[in-house]
Amino acid sequence: MSKGIAVAGLEHAFPARGGAVAALGRIDLDIAPGELVTLAGPSGCGKTTLLRMIAGFASPSTGSISVGGVPVTGPGVERGVVFQQPNLYPWLDVRRNVALGPRLRGVGRAERLAIADRYLDLVGLSDAADRRPYELSGGMQQRAQIARVLAGDPEVILMDEPYGALDALTRERLQGELLSLWRATGKTILFITHSVDEAVFLGSRVLVMSPRPGRIVLDELVPFSADPDLAPDEIRALPKFGATAARVRAAIAH
Amino acid sequence: MPTRSSVSAPRRWAGLALSLVVLLVVWSVVAAADLVQPHYLTPSPLEVWHAFVRANSHHAVGGGIDRVVRGEENYFLWEHLLVSLRRIGLGLALGVVVGVPLGLLMGSVRWIGDLVGPYVDFLRSLPPLAYIGFLVAWFGIYDTLKVWLLFLAAFPPITLATVNGVRGVRLDQLNAVRSLGASRLQTTRHVILPATLPDILSGLRVAVGFAWTTVVAAELVNGLPGIGGLAYLSGTQNKIALSVACILVIGLTAIALDAVIRSIEKLVVPWRGKA
Ligand SMILES: Nc1ncnc2c1ncn2[C@@H]1O[C@H](COP(=O)(O)OP(=O)(O)O)[C@@H](O)[C@H]1O
Ligand SMILES: [Mg+2]
Repeated sequence: MSKGIAVAGLEHAFPARGGAVAALGRIDLDIAPGELVTLAGPSGCGKTTLLRMIAGFASPSTGSISVGGVPVTGPGVERGVVFQQPNLYPWLDVRRNVALGPRLRGVGRAERLAIADRYLDLVGLSDAADRRPYELSGGMQQRAQIARVLAGDPEVILMDEPYGALDALTRERLQGELLSLWRATGKTILFITHSVDEAVFLGSRVLVMSPRPGRIVLDELVPFSADPDLAPDEIRALPKFGATAARVRAAIAH
Repeated sequence: MPTRSSVSAPRRWAGLALSLVVLLVVWSVVAAADLVQPHYLTPSPLEVWHAFVRANSHHAVGGGIDRVVRGEENYFLWEHLLVSLRRIGLGLALGVVVGVPLGLLMGSVRWIGDLVGPYVDFLRSLPPLAYIGFLVAWFGIYDTLKVWLLFLAAFPPITLATVNGVRGVRLDQLNAVRSLGASRLQTTRHVILPATLPDILSGLRVAVGFAWTTVVAAELVNGLPGIGGLAYLSGTQNKIALSVACILVIGLTAIALDAVIRSIEKLVVPWRGKA
């Protein structure tokens, strides 16, 4: 069963020379279990800051965060994080990178490698399992990172512009894969992006953040990604897709 | 870098061989000219080679005495070399066993690093020969002394390189493994240690060079068997050809040791410079 995320009265300022940089304005946010929430906003508005706080890498100046009803005090295995950089370990081959989560849980060698192979298959990387991460293209590395997070079996997945550095074709293919994956698993996902198209395509709910200090200025349910009758490549062609994208774009530009 | 050296490798070897030939010829000419008296102060390459062979075999004492001896000072030269290598091997092994865990601890726990760092730094900046007298008083003049000396010479560079490596581990590499559920110990074992491996090996390389210089010098005190001891003794006994042979062996060994560590690096951290 997946877990929800609750952010209440959160504000954050980074200490800086001659005062403080207010990164996040007041954020109140409830994400229900199984939602795929996309968060868009201009660069530097505080998206990464918010994600890192939910991940437990840093704590906010004020306010509270809980996941599945439990306050966040640090990183935790129930919250998987897909970083903007692939962050794979070069001393492990791709299969062992993916098997790391099960290994840390004490899963035996044969079983954890089988788990890794299953997730590598899921992201279409079976052929690269024996290679080292630096022998893979950027898109393959990102897929390996996603497989590693999935193999850790988190209830919540936090993704920080995972496809930001990829070419348009790879990007669209990975978006489609993520959508099928979410439909199949029903995990709670918070997906950060600076692309309006990506936000509307993936999100069952789209959030838009204002420029720094970031606050949520648009919060809208989107019907496309959750609709099991819609194939991923049909979504962008829908007239309502364009209309939603226009509203999101206007909110960002505001 | 790698492309440049691989393209010109044959040419570099040819150049080296040529310069060696020139060196040997010049050396032979200078030795034959006997510019310096007495004659034995300028051994020719051939004499050095003979001394080298003699030192590695059973041979007659000479001088009309009918007795066959084993190498020099009852050990073959290669045995002298092995004894010295064993000493630095032990000293380095202890240096790694103490230096790596200490470095991991100092790098991971800020206050321990701040507390212990200055002392390790101080120890590193001391020339080991400065405290050899002190160590003689503590451990006597036998091998315990030399292993302690080499340990004290080897562990500071290894420790400091490890600390440096730990502090350079990318924060998100740590965050990623923690989000996969790693405990503190698992984080060290699965991320900090492997990420620090390149730095540990760099530290080891520095330590090996340092330890080799130190062992050769330390063998001035009761250094037999030992290649440094033999180099020193043969010089004081006017066996210059043997002394030169020892010097060449010492230098070539240093180069070989460095090459060994570099190939270990290639083997153990193939990702160096790629990720
Ligand atoms: N560690 C930090 N120290 C100081 N300022 C920071 C730090 N991290 C981020 N900031 C600042 O906070 C703001 C929000 O950053 P970030 O969350 O990375 O934005 P986004 O991910 O939306 O592009 C930016 O102005 C950035 O410069
Ligand atoms: Mg960001």
